[in-house]
Amino acid sequence: MDDDPASEGIHRLYPFLDAGHAVRAAHPELAEERDAATRDAAHAGHVNRSTEVKAEEIVRLRARVAELYTDRIAECAEAMAARFASGGRLFTFGNGGSSTDAQEVATAFLHPSRGRPLPALSLTSDAALVTALSNDVGFDVVFARQVSALARPGDIALGLSTSGGSANLVQAFEEAWGRGLLTIGLAGYQGGRLAELAELDVLDYLFVVPSSSVHRIQEAQTTIYHVLWEATQHVLGTVPGLRGRHAG
Amino acid sequence: MPVSSTTRLAVSEAFTRRDAAGHRLARDSERMARACREMAARFHRGGKLIVFGNGGAGTDASHVAVEFMHPVIMGKRALPAMALSNDAATVSGVGARDGFAEVFAHQVRHWADPADMALGVSPDGWCANVLKGLETAHELGLLTMALVGGDGGAITRSPAVGHVLVAGSDDPAVVKEIHVTAYHVLWELVHVFFAQAGPPVFSTPSGPHGRSGEPEDSGREAVR
Repeated sequence: MDDDPASEGIHRLYPFLDAGHAVRAAHPELAEERDAATRDAAHAGHVNRSTEVKAEEIVRLRARVAELYTDRIAECAEAMAARFASGGRLFTFGNGGSSTDAQEVATAFLHPSRGRPLPALSLTSDAALVTALSNDVGFDVVFARQVSALARPGDIALGLSTSGGSANLVQAFEEAWGRGLLTIGLAGYQGGRLAELAELDVLDYLFVVPSSSVHRIQEAQTTIYHVLWEATQHVLGTVPGLRGRHAG
Repeated sequence: MPVSSTTRLAVSEAFTRRDAAGHRLARDSERMARACREMAARFHRGGKLIVFGNGGAGTDASHVAVEFMHPVIMGKRALPAMALSNDAATVSGVGARDGFAEVFAHQVRHWADPADMALGVSPDGWCANVLKGLETAHELGLLTMALVGGDGGAITRSPAVGHVLVAGSDDPAVVKEIHVTAYHVLWELVHVFFAQAGPPVFSTPSGPHGRSGEPEDSGREAVR
């Protein structure tokens, strides 16, 4: 079994799944012995600089996103506010780390730190439904089926992907567009298949973070959806300290 | 569609408001490296990472867990991690019976081994259940860490918490953004130290994306 390259890959990637766990547990001193202070010191400067570089990288990337998208984010927030004002609801979705972003977006709107609570639901949170659909139909439909069951024409669909290539997002956006929802995508790299959807006007708004690092893309996307939330509240005139355009 | 100038200004100001806290994170590089070195040693001893937080910080807990369990950068090995905020049945069950302050402490008590690590996320540093979870973890011998913001709160002042990173902002949205960068860097540094101190039996084969001891993010990434 160990000769099987796939199996070997699994062992390497998931060492805690195999008997190696026991070897490690039996020889904890191995780690400490190799944790030589001199080598640590040699790496320390390099490691610290690497962290500083990354911190500066994301500050620059945010500034770049602001340059590219300030107008579009403002426009998108006004469109979202108009939908919320008419009783629209927000549905969010994404895979992996982006699913946690989808949940953050939903709770940021539904239970905000300040301002007005707005109806929002993350389609990633119901493990029963997601596993049932994946098992019985296929993973590509997990969000589209929920959109078709729950969404009304005045609602909003917001999906996040770092690559822009997730098939279940593409299907969900097609379903949402067909039902008259406002469709908003967040992506990275060159936008992937979501960029094609934007070309076809299936996506009303697409914000592509110009980076090829999954981590930096996710960090910039976090800022984009927080700013979208804040600007939506601003338009609705509900964020204290920020005067809404209809408020004065 | 013409955009109102006040909306445009609100967006522009919101972006600018992130800069100071973003720059400040660089100052914490040494502090983060120290925590990551200890984490790598614990992963080598078979320890797992236990993460928890409330609300939006609960989604960070899930993000950290999936980051370690299923790395987006191909070739980086998975390390065991779990998010305590994911189990809505247990969180609401413990909350209803024993009080909300117990929801993480209860799970830590029944899941943790002494070699484990506990990471609490709290935007203002005042979450009572996060503090209780960290205190319980400390009593059981776990390495305890926290990502907080604002004035750092009770979590920063607690002797039970070994490593704290305070994001330099009072705005919970900005704090979260700093935390996301912080735990991405944390994940990466843990792998740097993990590779550096690894027993030979588990060493990663070297290759263009597998050089040990080098922080990098140029590896092939999963489509997500």
